[in-house]
Amino acid sequence: MDISLLAFVHILVAAAVCWLNFVVIDLLFRLPASGGVVGASAIGRHIEAKGGALPGGIMMGNIVSSPDASAGTLLAACGVFIAGVPGGLLAALLVFIGNRICHDPGYAGTTGAVSATFIVSGFTLIGFSPAEFIAGMVIAILTIQGISHRHSSRLLAYLWRVRGG
Amino acid sequence: MNPQDTALAACAVVAVYAAIRVALEPDTLRKLPFLNVLSFAVAGSIALLLPHPLSIVAAAAYFVGTTLESNAIASTYAGGLDRRE
Repeated sequence: MDISLLAFVHILVAAAVCWLNFVVIDLLFRLPASGGVVGASAIGRHIEAKGGALPGGIMMGNIVSSPDASAGTLLAACGVFIAGVPGGLLAALLVFIGNRICHDPGYAGTTGAVSATFIVSGFTLIGFSPAEFIAGMVIAILTIQGISHRHSSRLLAYLWRVRGG
Repeated sequence: MNPQDTALAACAVVAVYAAIRVALEPDTLRKLPFLNVLSFAVAGSIALLLPHPLSIVAAAAYFVGTTLESNAIASTYAGGLDRRE
């Protein structure tokens, strides 16, 4: 297979892995339950006004307002790309500091960064490049925050109901 | 193209797309998720373009900075007070 086509397939696989990592961790840390700051709730209400679902909108507001597991996954992939597992753990420390700067009391970002560090370094053993996980995470966040807020907030609200609220 | 160049191309395409969506969205609060995608793409590009240990710090500082700005813009539009102060 042509090497750039192989890299493209790897990026799509990495996007799916990153998507699962950050959505599962954000739902476990109850991001759709309430806005961490008033701005996050306001983004949720504006998305609901355009036909979206409120819990999904609040989760998207929380992702905008503080580094969550998606930011942790991206920065951990950057860290592993540059310096291996120690780089990923340095990224986790920086996400932890970033959470405190953004008045976020939670640990979703730090947890996501640590889990992504080990997932990305595990995938390098089977031929993936950490660079592909950087692009994969950018595509994963694009599907939630950048295509249709109405549909992505409804999907997140559905997953939130499946988790049990 | 090697994997790094392919990843950089994907980040650049997503960044341009997100920038266009930010410009076209009329509602300020609904602009912010698109801006979030743009920040992801730029932070990823920083690490891909400059593979140096300090780039991790640069990408994290850029990303946390833009997040804090979005947080401040959204909270100001919503009434200005952080509930947990």
